[in-house]
Amino acid sequence: MARLLLLLIIFVADSIYAQEKKVISGYITDAKSGEKLFGVSIFDSKGNTTTTNEYGYFSLPVEGETTQITISYTGYKNIVKEITGNNLRLDVALEQAVEELAEVVVTKKRNTVQSSEIGTATLKASVIKKLPAILGEPDVLKTIQLLPGVSSVNEASSGFNVRGGSADQNLVLLDDATIYNASHLFGFFSVFNPDAIKDVKLYKGGIPAYYGGRLSSVLDVRQKEGNKKEFNGEAGIGLISSRVLVEGPFAKRDSADARGSYMVAARRSYIDAFTFIDDEFKDTRLYFYDLNLKTNYELNAKNNLYLSGYFGRDRFKLPGLIGTTWGNATGTLRWTSILSDKLFLQTSAVYSNYDYELDNLRSGSEYTWKSRISNFNIKPRLTWYYNNDVTARAGLDILYYVFSPGEISPLNNSSVNSQTFSKKYSLENGAYVDTEYKISDKLLIQPGLRFSNFSRLGRETINQYNNGMPIFYNPVQDVYEENEVISGRNYKRGEIISRFNNLEPRLSFRYLLNENSSVKAGYNRMYQYIHLVTNTTSPTPLDVWTPSGPYIKPQSADQVGIGYYRSFLNNAYELSVESYYKRLYNVTDFKEGADLLFREDIETQLIQGTGRAYGVEVLLNKYEGNFTGWISYTLSKSETKITGINNSRYYPNNADQLHRLNIVGMYKLGERWEFGGIFSLSTGRPVTYPTGRYEQNGLVVADYNSRNGSRLPTYHRLDLSATLNPKPGSGKTGKWIFSLVNVYNRQNASSIYFREVSEVNDVEVATGRTEAVKLSFFGIVPSVTYEFKF
Amino acid sequence: MKTLRLIILLTVTALCSCEETVTGDITLTTIERLVIEGGIERNRNNPGAIQSVKLSTTINYLSQDSSPGVTDATVTVTDGTTTWEFIHTGNGLYSNSELIPELNTVYTITIIWRGETYTGNDTLNEVAVFDNFYFEFEEETLFTDEGYFLKFDSTDPAAIENYYYYRVFKNGIYTIVPDPGNSETLIVSDEFFDGQQRFGINPNEEVSFTVNDIATAQQLGISQKYFEYLYQVFEQTGNQGVSFTGNPPPASIRSNVINVTTPSNRPLGFFYAADIEEQSIQITE
Repeated sequence: MARLLLLLIIFVADSIYAQEKKVISGYITDAKSGEKLFGVSIFDSKGNTTTTNEYGYFSLPVEGETTQITISYTGYKNIVKEITGNNLRLDVALEQAVEELAEVVVTKKRNTVQSSEIGTATLKASVIKKLPAILGEPDVLKTIQLLPGVSSVNEASSGFNVRGGSADQNLVLLDDATIYNASHLFGFFSVFNPDAIKDVKLYKGGIPAYYGGRLSSVLDVRQKEGNKKEFNGEAGIGLISSRVLVEGPFAKRDSADARGSYMVAARRSYIDAFTFIDDEFKDTRLYFYDLNLKTNYELNAKNNLYLSGYFGRDRFKLPGLIGTTWGNATGTLRWTSILSDKLFLQTSAVYSNYDYELDNLRSGSEYTWKSRISNFNIKPRLTWYYNNDVTARAGLDILYYVFSPGEISPLNNSSVNSQTFSKKYSLENGAYVDTEYKISDKLLIQPGLRFSNFSRLGRETINQYNNGMPIFYNPVQDVYEENEVISGRNYKRGEIISRFNNLEPRLSFRYLLNENSSVKAGYNRMYQYIHLVTNTTSPTPLDVWTPSGPYIKPQSADQVGIGYYRSFLNNAYELSVESYYKRLYNVTDFKEGADLLFREDIETQLIQGTGRAYGVEVLLNKYEGNFTGWISYTLSKSETKITGINNSRYYPNNADQLHRLNIVGMYKLGERWEFGGIFSLSTGRPVTYPTGRYEQNGLVVADYNSRNGSRLPTYHRLDLSATLNPKPGSGKTGKWIFSLVNVYNRQNASSIYFREVSEVNDVEVATGRTEAVKLSFFGIVPSVTYEFKF
Repeated sequence: MKTLRLIILLTVTALCSCEETVTGDITLTTIERLVIEGGIERNRNNPGAIQSVKLSTTINYLSQDSSPGVTDATVTVTDGTTTWEFIHTGNGLYSNSELIPELNTVYTITIIWRGETYTGNDTLNEVAVFDNFYFEFEEETLFTDEGYFLKFDSTDPAAIENYYYYRVFKNGIYTIVPDPGNSETLIVSDEFFDGQQRFGINPNEEVSFTVNDIATAQQLGISQKYFEYLYQVFEQTGNQGVSFTGNPPPASIRSNVINVTTPSNRPLGFFYAADIEEQSIQITE
């Protein structure tokens, strides 16, 4: 901390003198759409280099009277500009290369080898849409699972696991707003409409200080801004859903791009349109929809406003039995301002909300259950392009949460009593400094420090337990027992119930071995103050988030990583090998036999333990030519240790997979055809098999002894896709996408479970006979999608 | 829940969501444990009933035999003042005909077997009566075939925590189906209807009757501990393996009986005490 401050002081002092250099700064945009481009390389002939930030802004100090500036971005034509004079503003529109050959998967090569980032990956929406997809629904979260270090517990899970972390340890941001549940249709699809998405960046390690609040990863999803040049419409018709997007300029000017632009996208599934096939399905509901919106407006050359929003819902209803609806709603207002050619200020005000409703529709006891989490978030960040060697970022991250764990009310005048679980309030503050410091041509370091502070606030009544703890472990009986509630302590509105202060140091560095290769290392400490309470391995709509407090401690993690990066064959290929080791503390799990639904005293069901994860990740990318793609391989372990589970020893957690291999290829054949292929192979995930059977109340009950002691069979699958593009120059825009998932029809086990045979000759009855059953979600799945522009 | 299988069905109609029996491919290990099944039942409508408890041991989950009865144990039950000996009557069943169950009483069982002592207890709580007991014909739905179903109305006593458990008998034979709905229909707590009268409750949605059947239902007043135990039993036996409902890491369901001699050699099952309201009706057209 002290050193950082010192560094800052030196910059300030230094800046008073260092005025002889000039600074070129501005925005880089796409010439066709006017959208700002992120990650564009700008460099001069003397080796000074920078990249644009997420708002397309760059600032490059240079020396000398005349400077030659090169602007380079994969998939676009390079631009070379001569700059003379002083302190020039340089706004450049890049034109896309005629042949869209080089769709980059991981950030452009110059960045990967040269940047200080370790454990990050970027995906563009265009790549996501070219790959084969289940039922022709391209999916961001399924595609990132093709990268090393990312996995999921099964196909019907939009939750993902990064380096062995659980699904709730990922911070998922859509235009700066937290998405609490990224799944549609119980996890088969994610909430990210690929049409509305511009790009996706995943941080698995070396997480910069400006992110915080989750242990394992940050997934930063950015929506398209909208075309500033002309109106544009796109639509896609798929087997289970259709999508439409319109974008265009407003507040047009004659000479330049319009001042503003907008993008509106919508998607709706229609699986339930087929319910007419059987009268039994009448009144059954099963659908989801999404609305995405983004607008931006240029106040003047230095100030821009962005407003973006997302609204999505799932609805499911079986008359007379059950109904549920859930969804996220977010809104982000952002303001970016160029304070000077060296200072860039961005400020976001964010609202995000996740809620679900569960309706019991059984006659006589109908009720509806509602639960919600919402937050308000303000995050200003100042970026200081101090000089060629130093860029500093500092900012605040202020988050206010309201948790409404549950509210029950009767439906149809049933005799159910209304009841509301008490709300929980929290304030999470972060303050950070992050600096990128080029010590020499070869050595670049990025130190950062985040101070986080979490307060659980009233008004709330907190149960006071006998012995001060809600549960305790009885080692003799090897069981967790609950303590009695002796009283309730009332806290007034705004009164602090618990408070946690923590420092989160972050550091990464890069050392260039030569022009084409580098080594990097990184360290980060993360704290997580809110916990997902779900007793399933993958997120379900019935998720409840609960804040840290008197009985639940914040989770924390330390991670170190080291990597080797190399580009070769004239930068056509790039190889990266990364290795990491993580320790996790106070990770939450549930006591055996935990009951979580409709539970106010959730602290009596939770236990906390430690975790460790380590592994090696290899990624080989081919960027250029008609054939592009990547091979990713992960060798990893991920284990948890909790008092009272598996004799208090380390055991593999749900995300533990020793091997994971993904081969992804895209091939362009002639002018019209593009092909995609994915082959995935991984170790089966850990499962718990029974160690005995006995009878109770006429049913066969299983006994278990060690959690996650067995494994599912090896998983492997091949998916293929083909895209037929319209003839160039024909003026047509229609595009056909054919997808064939699980080509050789392997029945991969998504789970193997054990049960009593409960049917004899179509009559349901307890038989006393037992069986093991493998469930596979799908065999071979063909699909076709049609996309067109208007 | 069957509902959740249906979700899958609808979600992936175009897909082949397949279940395949793989019993032959799986090898399981077994850890043998003592199993207790039974308890003290105060049946209002049948006071002089014999009390009995069954003892057995666990076997391999995929074994198709039934669990072997434990025939050489000593079983006693006490209410703190009187102790009754339960005599082995065959096949692991231990019985006593002198114990007359009483309300608000804690019954403790002690089992001595293979040199180890096991003990556990439960409290007998009063149950509410059926205000009305009848049957209704219901059309076929997505989840059930058409047929006659039992219905009852019952008033929950206010300001007391009550836990209910339902048993249904078809022509005198106890009937149960391993079904995901069991954890919601066969057991219920009054958390959300304390003090209210409920109407038209079906004691077991999986059991339908035909004309001339004798349909019997029992409403059992049980302890919170037994309710929580049964919840786990029904959750586990009803889990159809669908990953988003469950696969919470499956765990051994803990008994209320402990092994005093060697705690780690813990038994399974439950020794309960319950008050029972029972009625029967003959199904007519």
